[in-house]
Amino acid sequence: MEARNTREKTARVTTPSDREIVITRAFDAPRTVVFDAWTKAEHVAQWWDPSGRPLAVCEIDLRPSGTFRFVHQGPDGLRHPFTGMYREIAPPLRLVFTTRSPSGAESVGMLVFSEHARRTTLTMTIACRSKADRDALLKMRVDVGTSRTLDNLDEYLSKI
Amino acid sequence: MAMHNRSDALSVAFAALADPTRRAILAQLAGGEADVSELMKPFHLSQPTISKHLKVLERAGLVARGRSAQRRPRTLIAAPLKRIDQWLESYRRFWEKKFASLDDYLLDLKKKETRRGSTKH
Repeated sequence: MEARNTREKTARVTTPSDREIVITRAFDAPRTVVFDAWTKAEHVAQWWDPSGRPLAVCEIDLRPSGTFRFVHQGPDGLRHPFTGMYREIAPPLRLVFTTRSPSGAESVGMLVFSEHARRTTLTMTIACRSKADRDALLKMRVDVGTSRTLDNLDEYLSKI
Repeated sequence: MAMHNRSDALSVAFAALADPTRRAILAQLAGGEADVSELMKPFHLSQPTISKHLKVLERAGLVARGRSAQRRPRTLIAAPLKRIDQWLESYRRFWEKKFASLDDYLLDLKKKETRRGSTKH
């Protein structure tokens, strides 16, 4: 869409230690807006699923020890839940939560929103309990990515 | 299974890269081959320590041992690093899809705000 932004807006992923993954990404909006987009159910429901479909379930209890549950339902009917518990809420600067992967491994997610000239840079740190958990998380995403690709191929094949 | 072996190799490579000294050794080798004594100098480390780190890097397939009679120069092998890169890249793409979706949504919000005639900014 906005070609001038495509390069600087690309997400960067680094692994600063053997238990962490850090993702950085810039957004064309003030951080109050970006923070709301991450913490209000009516917003999250609209963007969490990249396919553009609103989430099937989007529940947010935004307070320390409050839980959240985002569930997106794929065209195949399969549900992909992302659930966790808020640990620290400091609008519009920081949001800390814990989540559990399908395999049961707990990780801590920390979002830091920094603003410059009405643009927000989001730094998302995912800290796992162990290196094995971290690697499993990375690998899981690879698998998800692969199955998405296969879904797309499926869809394409049904059309030709 | 092939997929399994590949990710196990990745785990070993990740573990090898988790140490800052080993990353520095790789950076050094990226500039050209070097033997143990040449690697000792910039790092102020003992020969056994350097050898220990090199052993980990060799096991991860990140470094190969050359065979010249006296000197045993080590060289960097880029392939495992490339695999890690691919792994991170696929993780990045996973989030990038969500972020692109958030971009569109933020743009929508901005338009709505403008239409409503934002009060103060």
